Amino acid sequence: MTDPRIRASMRYPNDLTVPGMWHARLVRSPYAAARVVGIDTSLVPQDVVVLMPSEVEPLGGYGCQISDQHVLAGVARHVGDPVVAVAAADEATAREAAGLVEVGYEELSAVFDERDALRAGAPLVHDTHAVSDGDAAYFGLRPLEGTNVCHRFRIRTAGLPQGEPYTADPEPDDHADGFEAAQVIVDETFRMPAAQHVAMEPHACVAGWRDGRLEVTTGTQTPFNLRQDLARLFGLPDTDVRVVCPPMGGSFGAKTFVRTEAIAAAVARRLDRPVRLALDREEEFVTLTRHAATVRVRLGATRDGRFVAKRVWCWVNTGAYADCGPGVAMKMGYAGVGPYRFDHVAVDSFCVYTNLPPAGAFRGYGAAQSVWASERVTDLMAAELGIDPVELRRRNLLVDGDRFCTGETMHDVHFQELLDDAARAVDWRPGGDNRGKGVAVMLKGMQTPSRAEVDLRRVGDGRFEVLSGTAEMGQGAAQAIARLAADLLGVDADQVEVPPPDTDRVPYDTRTTSSRSTHMMGRALEAAVEDLKHGGGDYGHGRVVNEGGLDVDTGQGIASSHWHQGAAAAAVEVDDETGLLTLRSVHAASYAGRVVDRAAAELQQEGSMTMAIGTTLFEELTFDQGHVVGPNLSDYNIPSALDCAAVSQTLLEVEGAEVHGLGETALPPVPPAIGNALATLGYRPTELPLTPERVLGCAEDAS
Amino acid sequence: MNLLLQVNGAPVQVDVEPGVMLLEVLRDRLGLLGARGACGVGLCGTCTVLLDGEPISSCILLAPLAQSHTITTIEGVPDDDPVVRAFDRHHAFQCGYCIPGMVLTARSLLAECARARRSPSREQIAESLGGNLCRCGCYVKIIDAVQEVGS
Amino acid sequence: MTWMAPRTVAEAVRLKAEWPEATLVAGGTFVGILTRQGLLASDDWISLQDVRELRELSTGSELALGAMVTHRRIELDPGVAAGWPGVRQVFAAVASPRVRNAATIGGVLGDADYASDPPAMLIALDAWVEALSVRGLRRVPVADLIVGHYRTSLEEDELITRVLVPRGRHHVTFRKLRTRSREDRPCVAVAASLHEGRVSVVVGAVAERPQRFPDLCATWDPADGASAGEIAAGYADRIDPIGDNRGSAAYRTGMIAVEVRRALDTLAPAALTAQAAGR
Repeated sequence: MTDPRIRASMRYPNDLTVPGMWHARLVRSPYAAARVVGIDTSLVPQDVVVLMPSEVEPLGGYGCQISDQHVLAGVARHVGDPVVAVAAADEATAREAAGLVEVGYEELSAVFDERDALRAGAPLVHDTHAVSDGDAAYFGLRPLEGTNVCHRFRIRTAGLPQGEPYTADPEPDDHADGFEAAQVIVDETFRMPAAQHVAMEPHACVAGWRDGRLEVTTGTQTPFNLRQDLARLFGLPDTDVRVVCPPMGGSFGAKTFVRTEAIAAAVARRLDRPVRLALDREEEFVTLTRHAATVRVRLGATRDGRFVAKRVWCWVNTGAYADCGPGVAMKMGYAGVGPYRFDHVAVDSFCVYTNLPPAGAFRGYGAAQSVWASERVTDLMAAELGIDPVELRRRNLLVDGDRFCTGETMHDVHFQELLDDAARAVDWRPGGDNRGKGVAVMLKGMQTPSRAEVDLRRVGDGRFEVLSGTAEMGQGAAQAIARLAADLLGVDADQVEVPPPDTDRVPYDTRTTSSRSTHMMGRALEAAVEDLKHGGGDYGHGRVVNEGGLDVDTGQGIASSHWHQGAAAAAVEVDDETGLLTLRSVHAASYAGRVVDRAAAELQQEGSMTMAIGTTLFEELTFDQGHVVGPNLSDYNIPSALDCAAVSQTLLEVEGAEVHGLGETALPPVPPAIGNALATLGYRPTELPLTPERVLGCAEDAS
Repeated sequence: MNLLLQVNGAPVQVDVEPGVMLLEVLRDRLGLLGARGACGVGLCGTCTVLLDGEPISSCILLAPLAQSHTITTIEGVPDDDPVVRAFDRHHAFQCGYCIPGMVLTARSLLAECARARRSPSREQIAESLGGNLCRCGCYVKIIDAVQEVGS
Repeated sequence: MTWMAPRTVAEAVRLKAEWPEATLVAGGTFVGILTRQGLLASDDWISLQDVRELRELSTGSELALGAMVTHRRIELDPGVAAGWPGVRQVFAAVASPRVRNAATIGGVLGDADYASDPPAMLIALDAWVEALSVRGLRRVPVADLIVGHYRTSLEEDELITRVLVPRGRHHVTFRKLRTRSREDRPCVAVAASLHEGRVSVVVGAVAERPQRFPDLCATWDPADGASAGEIAAGYADRIDPIGDNRGSAAYRTGMIAVEVRRALDTLAPAALTAQAAGR
């Protein structure tokens, strides 16, 4: 039999129907900031149930890192914020009824830009900031009361003073930031706009109550975080909430933490019957986005090309609700330093509220935004110094034994090899004519600390079952886990079953994000197989943690127990009259350590690169008074088969190395590789996407 | 109104309001879940089915328009179909949501090429599949699979 | 709710007159999108699916395309390719094969979507439509058909039955500037056709209706290197373009100047050859 995904022989969350279930639809705020002052349901038919904000207010708030969301909004903080839920026996009735609910609003002041939100006079999106005590708030959080900053992350290498609490318009202080020895300084500001994940399968869940227990079947990458948040919301012990995750039709970060599940659960409790809540494509655009970010990088070097100091500011637009924005701001902060040696590094990364739809996990998790800026600046410095961009990187790249800006010692790093591979792919001529070509190299962290546990059971003649909390979203997690287990057990992969996560059955796993699962579950499986062998052969349990973490005030510690490392190169042509940029080739080289499933690994690379092409050339959410302009796939383009003609990739493996995750690595280096290639042709790109209009707008000669 | 549809080689009768789309008939009335709705405007291709062997967007096709045509969904494509096998061999899928639409569209292209006794180039395959969006980005392997069958 | 499926053109126009509120369904693409998006809630439908006459395609002294002929069929028809390369080229440029399987020529003209490709080319080729009602047949040049944002000059009870394209326009070019994905709608589209020494340039996708300025076209001198640029600048000057996710109004203005000039430059060699041959 062929894989069930080819002929639709399996079911996605969106396919799920349950006998007796009703359908919920949401009434959403048309204002970016408004207090709800009245709700009139007189036109809603009798057989339709309406859930009001006042009914769910006693449940309190939730949020994976900052507790700032409510099940329904009494104060709407973005266009699309759900205010009322209606439910009916069939979807058409519910849909119609949602249109008949009349909500009265008192408009409030709104702010949309991540730097404006820090400037004097900006309205506060939230009056106070309450740090969550859930598992996802695993690092020190630093909200700044009385401001729109829900978290600030800071790196200061030894000897550098701490600095201002926050600012939108920093005045560089070369003394405080360690730039005295810099003979040449490059300072530039960049922006990457918001984008949308556009997983082909929209969000969908079914929630129901059974004997006081809440059961939710949903697409989610974070079953245990979701279980915890729902349990706390409804005042239940964790074990009275069950989360089941069928394989998803894509996610890329969109299906994380609480999305539709709390509302569906609240409606289900009210109706005492199962409730399905599934979103339309248009609704996806106001549910979760990628953080827009402004990143300013100041780089100081000696004239012979040695990096001396780096100063990075990130303003991370997390929208109306923090979600995992604080974590993204942290990762964006240190990814923006890049895989280089410096004498001094200072980073301030601010996670900022605005009245835009909430931003959250998105493939790359903040790295794309800051790597865009950082690697463009590397090339700007190369141009300033008159040094070949590949050579300049070579002189400064971290090698085993070097310290990163967090103070941690690098091990098993291969930046040089990856860069060389990428350069070769575009036939880079050292010191020669490389017009139309660009490179980039980057590092990205893996969630640290985290924990993975796995159960292994013998279920029959030579057959085993792996109970793992890793969620399948197309990355091939289940098959990779099956293969890892099979190799360890000495059986064929098809003798190992890996059912989709059900929190009633599988042991705890931090979550399926950060490209951590193959690595962490792989290690947990090793422990489980050992345990099984020692215990008689029928059952084994494995538990592994990766230790570490950063001091949130200095950025010192262990950012990542091992590093995702990638390089990219691009060759481009530009039509100078239209600004149309043509990609002749794009290549990504990523460190895999050890490849478990080659086809799946290649697909993750190609997928990351395809998404990166969209990010670089045309993906952008634009807003008008907080409304998404064109929330549909005609007005928001994602790459088609015709848009990624010439992509190629390398997976670097080293004998005896650890498995390194590959879900995201090939995304962040691609935009700066393309931007750097464009820059050789008389352009100075700083803002993405590089639409033809923007390309013309950044032409260096004004004619 | 009463509709008589030919679905995967078998006649099917359904009673629907005229304004219902073929996609809803297939999913909600016939339990054929391989055609999906992901964009609502006929652009993404996940709702693709074949009408007389040619791909159409079932999410925006008024069901009565499908009468007197043969409808083929992914459920009507057997497991040993050469395109299905090629997708499997090349691992030309990740999440799978767009794949039924890809397979059906590819089969239509390959049938046309077979009639014309030609092999499609990668560019022609990409062109034919241009309206089938894959966010997972499996295009390279999908084109590999289709090219192999077409050669 | 009533679904009507007439079998003849005569019956179709009669029903159209009797049911003024009913929605006419050709290929169903546009109507399908509007219905699915909740922008159209019709009780009654008149479907042209069974009107065989409307699916006829004939090539003679003119190309006659029944309103229900699909884009895909036009794209693949050998007679069209041989005699009307501009028609083939523009219908092949629309969206994807899947969309072209359903979209019809009558539908695309009746919908009057400003971003559609075919109207600009059909205007450049001096095509006209036959519009039928119970009151009789009217011939309307495509140039006079689209009058505003998704609006045609058709009467409420009129139905496009055929589109007719005169022979002899072999030197054509169609330029579709897409600024984002290769599946995107155009930012600027330019159709240009050469016939008996005259060039006809039509710019689509930038305003409510396709834009043509015969007086500017008449000034073209293919032997003068600057002439194309001047005409293009004239088009850019006279058109007040929209701005959207594909490009701002200012960008479109700039690109009208570029794309019109490029279209004329593409036709210049053929024009010079024709001039030299004394035609």
